[in-house]
Amino acid sequence: MEPVIEVKGLKHIYTDSDNNRITALEQIDMQIMPGEFVAVIGSNGSGKSTLARHLNALLLPTEGSVKINGMDTMEEDNLWMIRQQIGMVFQNPDNQIVAAIVEEDVAFGPENIGVPADEIRKRVDEALRIVDMEAYRTHAPHLLSGGQKQRVAIAGTLALGSECIVLDEPTAMLDPRGRREILATMKRLNKEKNITVVYITHFMTEAMEADRVVVMNKGKIVFQGTPAEVFSRVDELEKMGLEAPMASKFAFELKKSGAKLPKGIITNEDLAEALC
Amino acid sequence: MLDITLGQYYPGNSFIHRLDPRTKILTTLLLIIAVFLANTAIGYGILCAMVVLIIAVSGIPFMMVLKSVKPLLLIIVMTLLLHTLLGQGEHVLYQWKIFKVTEEGLQMGVKMSMRLILLLMISSILTFTTSPIVLTDGIESLLRPFRVIGVPAHELAMMMTIALRFIPTLMEETDRIIKAQTARGADFSGGNLLARAKNMLPILVPLFISAFRRADDLAVAMEARCYRGGDGRTRMHQLAYRSGDFIAFVFAFVMIGLLAFLRWGLALHP
Repeated sequence: MEPVIEVKGLKHIYTDSDNNRITALEQIDMQIMPGEFVAVIGSNGSGKSTLARHLNALLLPTEGSVKINGMDTMEEDNLWMIRQQIGMVFQNPDNQIVAAIVEEDVAFGPENIGVPADEIRKRVDEALRIVDMEAYRTHAPHLLSGGQKQRVAIAGTLALGSECIVLDEPTAMLDPRGRREILATMKRLNKEKNITVVYITHFMTEAMEADRVVVMNKGKIVFQGTPAEVFSRVDELEKMGLEAPMASKFAFELKKSGAKLPKGIITNEDLAEALC
Repeated sequence: MLDITLGQYYPGNSFIHRLDPRTKILTTLLLIIAVFLANTAIGYGILCAMVVLIIAVSGIPFMMVLKSVKPLLLIIVMTLLLHTLLGQGEHVLYQWKIFKVTEEGLQMGVKMSMRLILLLMISSILTFTTSPIVLTDGIESLLRPFRVIGVPAHELAMMMTIALRFIPTLMEETDRIIKAQTARGADFSGGNLLARAKNMLPILVPLFISAFRRADDLAVAMEARCYRGGDGRTRMHQLAYRSGDFIAFVFAFVMIGLLAFLRWGLALHP
């Protein structure tokens, strides 16, 4: 199977306002297969948002390459195909909704790529149904909750026909309920519609739900693996300013003081089972 | 603060509400021409009856439409007074020193102020029965043929859409900033005009910074969703003329014909 996203030796350098050249990403190698649910975690300034923007050709590599379904982001002819295939959801729910009516906003993407009117109608209805926002079809976006706005943004990417959705800290500005809504929606899309998900977050509890976790620090991928593998490395995570989930921290401390516990304890259930 | 109505749209489902926005814009223009054609009492009478009829069909409370005249009330009263007091004419009704009220002046004053009132009411019916979003679609569609001479039809419509989308958001933000600055001890009340203008600074500076940040975010989000200007773009909502629109156009042309006849026709065939 061909990977959806293939990043090879990616390096990104930008010039800040004081004319300093800053390396935001270095030696990034990453492959994401169709149907995968990958979480990317890292503290502030670790380069995870920069990486997200490379996946949609919003930024272009200084060195190395990013390929989406085999299409290089450096080739200008591929740009619109890439942006159709990789949907993006950003952090601020307010600043990514363009139109003053929910369904008009969902239609924005397909309108841009010139889909015929009746086909747009179908896609919009379908997308709103999938994210469970049909009831708010004709609402004004500013009257929706943060979680609802983000679901509208997700519907927007679905209407565009994206098979892979990159979410850049979609829950950072939401309340706990909104956070659960978004994660549940993405899990469901991943399972039922086989949508590939790249989920950037700094909430470890969200990353635990992924198939694979990629840990970034200072512009590099430090390590990656299943949630069980990643979150067992409690001390390394803490050095990077990331907090491991409660259960794995607990297990880690117990092991340090001599308790014999199996590997890969990350959820409260795992811990309870190992202890009792 | 959350419930902000934009413009003065009065939601409804009347015959007028359901008309195509292009029809409403164009017939409004036609009726404005009709108003300028009127020059007799009968003409103005017909126009008033027409406006009352349209308001009745649209289901908007009459007083609401009448209120739209209020912002220009001073100008209307001035028009009436100036024409009445300074108008030239032979039939003097009343004279006091250099001021004389003539029949012709009085007539002119009444006509002119009637004209203003009718213009305001007709154009406000358009905004009462058409939501700003639909109006934007209509304007874009009507301006599209003028793209060849460089009218940025799509860009204008996009700007209006984004403005409509973000006005409530920015108003919420203003509210939040005012509260935050008040909590820090800022005083927005009192003082003369200059002091009050100065008081606005702690609100405007954060508001502008935030607005620019939003604009930047939005531009990236739009690009990520394949936005590349108006070329090759389609719309989900296609505007379509229906039989009702035909009736509206016929009505508007009949009004113009009627008033043109009253203005010139009667003179030709006395």
